[in-house]
Amino acid sequence: MAVAIRQLTYAQAINEALKLEMRRDPRVILMGEDVAGGAGITNFEQDDAWGGVLGVTKGLVQEFGRERVLDTPITEAGFVGAAVGAAATGLRPVVELMFVDFFGVCWDMIFDQGAKLRYMFGGKASCPLVIRTMIGAGMGAAGQHSGCHYSVFTHMPGIKTVVPSTPADAKGLLTAAIRDDDLVVVFENKMLYNVSGAVPEGEYIIPLGKADIKREGSDVTIVAISRMVHQALEAAEALAADGISAEIIDPRTLSPLDEQTILQSVAKTHRLVIVDEDNPRCSAATDIAALVADKGFTDLDAPIKLVTAPHTPVPFSPPLEQFYIPSPERIIATIQEIMG
Amino acid sequence: MTIRQNGGGAQTLDRAPLLYMYEQMVTIRQFEERAGSEFAAGKVPGFVHLYAGEEAVAVGVCANLTDDDFITSHHRGHGHCIAKGVDVRAMVAELLGREAGACRGKGGSMHIADVHKGMLGANGIVGGGFPLATGAGLTARYNKRGQVAVCFFGDGAANQGTFHESLNLASIWKLPVIYVAENNGYAESTPVTYHMSCRDISERAAGYGMPGVTVDGLDVFAVYEAAHEAVARARRGEGPSLIECKTYRYFGHFEGDTVTYRTKEELASYRDRDPIKAMRRTLEQRSIASSGELDAIDKDVAQRIDDAWTYAEAAPLPAPEDALTDVYVSYS
Amino acid sequence: MAQPLVGIIANPASGRDIRRLVAHGTVFDNNEKTAIVRRVLLGLQAVGVTRVAYMPEHDFGILPRALDGLSGIIAEPLAMPALGTSIDSTRAAQLLAAADAGCIITLGGDGTNRAVAKGCRTVPLLPISTGTNNVFPSFLEGTIVGMAAGLVARGCIDTDAIRRFPWLEVLVDAKTREHALVDVVISSHPFVGARAIWDLSAVREVMLSRVAPATIGLSALGGALLDHTSEADNLPGMHISLGQGGKQVLAALAPGLVSWVAITAYRRLAIDDGAQFQPGIGTIALDGEREIELTTTSVVEVRLRSDGPFVVDVNAALIAAARAGYLHRT
Repeated sequence: MAVAIRQLTYAQAINEALKLEMRRDPRVILMGEDVAGGAGITNFEQDDAWGGVLGVTKGLVQEFGRERVLDTPITEAGFVGAAVGAAATGLRPVVELMFVDFFGVCWDMIFDQGAKLRYMFGGKASCPLVIRTMIGAGMGAAGQHSGCHYSVFTHMPGIKTVVPSTPADAKGLLTAAIRDDDLVVVFENKMLYNVSGAVPEGEYIIPLGKADIKREGSDVTIVAISRMVHQALEAAEALAADGISAEIIDPRTLSPLDEQTILQSVAKTHRLVIVDEDNPRCSAATDIAALVADKGFTDLDAPIKLVTAPHTPVPFSPPLEQFYIPSPERIIATIQEIMG
Repeated sequence: MTIRQNGGGAQTLDRAPLLYMYEQMVTIRQFEERAGSEFAAGKVPGFVHLYAGEEAVAVGVCANLTDDDFITSHHRGHGHCIAKGVDVRAMVAELLGREAGACRGKGGSMHIADVHKGMLGANGIVGGGFPLATGAGLTARYNKRGQVAVCFFGDGAANQGTFHESLNLASIWKLPVIYVAENNGYAESTPVTYHMSCRDISERAAGYGMPGVTVDGLDVFAVYEAAHEAVARARRGEGPSLIECKTYRYFGHFEGDTVTYRTKEELASYRDRDPIKAMRRTLEQRSIASSGELDAIDKDVAQRIDDAWTYAEAAPLPAPEDALTDVYVSYS
Repeated sequence: MAQPLVGIIANPASGRDIRRLVAHGTVFDNNEKTAIVRRVLLGLQAVGVTRVAYMPEHDFGILPRALDGLSGIIAEPLAMPALGTSIDSTRAAQLLAAADAGCIITLGGDGTNRAVAKGCRTVPLLPISTGTNNVFPSFLEGTIVGMAAGLVARGCIDTDAIRRFPWLEVLVDAKTREHALVDVVISSHPFVGARAIWDLSAVREVMLSRVAPATIGLSALGGALLDHTSEADNLPGMHISLGQGGKQVLAALAPGLVSWVAITAYRRLAIDDGAQFQPGIGTIALDGEREIELTTTSVVEVRLRSDGPFVVDVNAALIAAARAGYLHRT
């Protein structure tokens, strides 16, 4: 990887990935609600266009025009399904499902059409579609705009799921997703959009299905998903002061999952804690726990622990919302429980 | 075979395309009748939904399309497959779950597809095809070579949210999509007079800013003419339209359906208006073909259907481990 | 004496044919037709007519829906099977004539009214346009139609407000097959197909029962050919032959579709005048819809006849009723 000189925010890194891919491949188009903004208004100053509800896709309509950056009506089943149909017939759409919580409105098009058409057609078709969607609590957006739910997508055969935690990972993974010939859902944590990090210039990919060791350690493996990587890093700092060395694995992709990196780490540390902002039942956390309980059983010196959101919707009031999100304190307490 | 016409619709159809359309209709009828009897004999796993009676719609529409155009279909999809040129032997093999099937045995009756022929699949979800066809229309607009997409759907699907979403989207983006309603009067066991808030599906088109037309779906010439105009309009870049074909299915919603919700008299009255017999009569009365010629086509089709079943029954089943392949293009 | 009876024949299938696609035909959805009929019923009731008989339908049911919630009107479906074809309109008209209906209100286009005219005998019609070309029916407001029809049925209207129109008789191989209200077209279109005619390139002969430039359809062609000869203006009909080589006329053939049409010959038709043709393979269209398929030997004869339907002039009817005092009371 090239030496990174400049800092970009997570949102800017995503924007750059989209821009570079749209320049490279004319078949890449963007679709979604307000991804450009102001569609159909005459005498509209294009620079005033929203570029997405949180500005992530700003500037793209200016470069690529409204034939390639398409604002859609609020009609998720219609336009996500149209993106599936376009992908199956030769385009490479990147469609935005504004908040992951909206997936109920278009789930058929994702899991029963897009995810399955290659298989049901005996491998004679494919759906090279990227769905970008926002996840995560912490903004006070409440019950229908704050979930994670990547577990539901990960569960479905035919879908690949990507959960970047840093700007550099976001750019590389989104690039890989766009170049991937399968249906990939990229879950962007909205609380990370303004987080800065070093991001290499130019085109690069981070392969799907490769985890990243965000922090090396020897006493406990923390597998942390998306924004929880940052919670885990904070916890690890505090634990180091107590002489506990935590290794943090960022899976980066949930489907396909880099099992080997996780198992190798557990073989080294003998303890596993999984931090997941999603609800606990049938989650990515329980999935990884089952995997390690099976294939890493003899390496474990302690039960596998899960630090997750509770089995509730996301509450509104700030103290309630903060209680909901796994905190560094809860991670520390959980690790201390299984040490020694 | 593709039928290309330079304007003028059905009245400029020559003998060859007319005989081709007749043969297509007969192929669908015989395919469905054979599939029904083999299903009743326990030879076909799962479900089958037979298109017999509705042939004029698939054939009348698809006669205006080429392999470069797209169609989406639904659970009652055999007719659309045949009309779009999917290989009959591969279709039978798919019904029987053979490796040589159109989908290598992975899809079955409700998911037969041939994407290279623009047949984007039969679909088990009512209303599933609308957005897919609309997306194919988006690709067609992007490609700028005059392609169109056709969405076949039933009266039941006209109430699904995806109908409304897709017509709206195709309208605001002026996509080259033709939405073809096959109104056979029943959504499973529920009649249209109950389930629809309007009498004719075509009435809904005006609400989405596109022309809506109702034609007699038992008359292949009427269907052909309407589809011809709608396809020409779409190719010219003038946007989407909706054609409603009033038709009738001879068999139940699925095979095994006891069809208690329709009367024998109603079925008999529709058998009297059989679309294939009507086309035959027209061809003979206008001296376009003799009854001997048409009988020869019928016989030829019967032989081909027979051969397809022989072929498919002898074809091997896939290995059990093949269940694991074709989920993804690649999966590290 | 029995209460005056008014008949209503509302065609649920009108206004959705291919002219919505190849021209810019109006869409009258059936919910709007229901609203029109409701206005008609309220108009009838306002002038004291509460007995209505109507054509039943086998699916939508415009009349039952329009009647829903209205009290004081006795409305019965006619005793006939509802087949869902144009035969229903003819049968309904026959039954209404047999029941001595004072007036029949129709909702439909030329095609609907043609079917009604074949059965209504001398019962006057009040046609509301909900079809496409609408030479015969007009765009009329339902409430006013209800009032006028009710007054006609009560016998309050001067017969000057009711006119009898000539129509065209079509014979094939010497047998009367059909009648048309406005136009008969012979074309080389080999199939009935989607019925409507919007492309005149295959049309050979046009027979008109009236010539009127301010209409849509082939009667507009006749209207464009009006000349200054006063004698010719007294003849109701016209026979036009189409083809290259002569003059061209500008006519509105369908909604939004105005074309120059090349004609080779034309002449006015008096009552009982007509022509005979042996056109070969083709179709005869009646009032804008292909109906009859011809063989190579078919002999077609078209004659203008005087015994067409009676039609109420709504404007004249209400003026007459007002003058006669039916719209006053103390």
